Amino acid sequence: MTASKATEAREMSHLSDQELMHIVQGGDFSPASVIYDRYSGRIYNFAFRFLKNAEAAEDATQEVFVKMLRHANQFHGDAKLSTWLFSITANWCRDYLRKADNKSKETEDVLVSLPAPSELAPDRTYEQRENERLVRRALEALTAEQREAILLSRYQGLSYAEIAQIAGCSEGAVKTRVFRAMETLKKVLAGEAGGGERCLNAAQ
Amino acid sequence: MSECSAMKESMPLLLTESLDPARREQSHQHIEACAACSEAWLSYQQTWVILGDLPEVEVPPRIREAFLSKAGIAQAKNENVIAFRRKPVFKWLAQAAAIAVIAGGGYFAGHTRAPRIESSPATIDGVALARQGDFRPISLVETRQLDANALSPEIEGRPNITNVQFVDSDASDDQIGVSFDITSRWTVTGNPRERSMIRLLSYMLENEAAVSPRSNALEWVRQTYSDPANADPEIANALARVLRNDTHEGVRIRAVETLTTLPPAVASDTRDALINALKNDPNPAVRLKAVEALANMARSGSAIDPALIDTLRQKASQDDENLYVRVKAAEVLSSMNP
Repeated sequence: MTASKATEAREMSHLSDQELMHIVQGGDFSPASVIYDRYSGRIYNFAFRFLKNAEAAEDATQEVFVKMLRHANQFHGDAKLSTWLFSITANWCRDYLRKADNKSKETEDVLVSLPAPSELAPDRTYEQRENERLVRRALEALTAEQREAILLSRYQGLSYAEIAQIAGCSEGAVKTRVFRAMETLKKVLAGEAGGGERCLNAAQ
Repeated sequence: MSECSAMKESMPLLLTESLDPARREQSHQHIEACAACSEAWLSYQQTWVILGDLPEVEVPPRIREAFLSKAGIAQAKNENVIAFRRKPVFKWLAQAAAIAVIAGGGYFAGHTRAPRIESSPATIDGVALARQGDFRPISLVETRQLDANALSPEIEGRPNITNVQFVDSDASDDQIGVSFDITSRWTVTGNPRERSMIRLLSYMLENEAAVSPRSNALEWVRQTYSDPANADPEIANALARVLRNDTHEGVRIRAVETLTTLPPAVASDTRDALINALKNDPNPAVRLKAVEALANMARSGSAIDPALIDTLRQKASQDDENLYVRVKAAEVLSSMNP
């Protein structure tokens, strides 16, 4: 990055999401890196956990931000930028899962699942790694709708109204999805840990 | 719905402190008074906490680079459009001609057979002609120059048109031009042993931009070229380049797996690529895959040579190497008993 671009990015980092998007809507993509830096972590982690596939999450993240630029005029200031970006991400992920469903099992196996980050992170304790593995497996037991709802609620801290907007359903439906997801997670985590005690106590 | 059932449904909202103060207070009072709900609430809290054990994953920097590169291209696209100097007399003609040219581009993308244009050196008929013996190789990359009246005004296939430039080389004549890049879809069929097919697949392995299709291409290559009848060192070399150069560790892991399925006829190419990955790949998961693959090859007796033994010895004793890789290298050496 040149010095002038770095300065420009630093100055832009003080602008609000709405102000940055206003610049983008005017055809100037220079805030792209600032918006990316602001939201890529959340977008990537959501996609990674939703899809359970690092490569697909990479493609999703890149596509989401490209779409953000291409369809900037569809963003209206009345919604949060994060909600809009999560809407694009969730759509991409749902579309991806639908296509994966339509393909044969053989094709699904083609996708490379990277080792979970914990596998190569020596600083995490055995207990943390074990809990991470259990949580991953428990999340896999959820339906796509439930996983989407719990990921947005638990890990992204979005309100049910925002999740409803992203998922294209009512707040009541979100409430039901999160509740059912929690019920399943409780059962799976208890069962996975050989009676549940070890796993549940480990978190206390 | 009983009060307890309603309470349980609201527990996730209670966890996120999303209930209004009055309902929150009411809920806590109920939970304190009700043993079943109290137990359920504790269980909810524990589950919620455990979910936090899923660590945040770091975003690979390559995504940022790829995105900004794309954003840069998008900007460049706008800058590339040269303002067309309008000639009022020919304004209507300019608009009509431009529409005709772009529409014609659509016709190209929407049809599997391109119209025969005298000034164009290539047509998509080339594939069929090659099969019939009237061989006229065509290039996938070409520049066409066409007259507007040679193109159909019908737009089909929703072509993606980019990098538009208006060209008016001679302002005194009544001719204008428009240049653009347009995507078209190609299907190339042929025997897996045909050189063109091998080159095409090799190129795709190294140049497909998105990760998932690259991974799919590797799987396709594995299925096709694990057959001894299709053994080809060029495929092994392409995989070796993917293993050496691909920025995505998942793809490199897949490249190792694909290399190990190649027939013994290309074993030396495979072994060299794996040794190189074991020595130089920055990712321990890839190095581990490589050493495992070499172990399998060594067990089958096809890969033992001094270079391999040296590399394994070096890895087994390398202090700053990943522990798993060191142990695996030592295991392989032990099993080989050199």
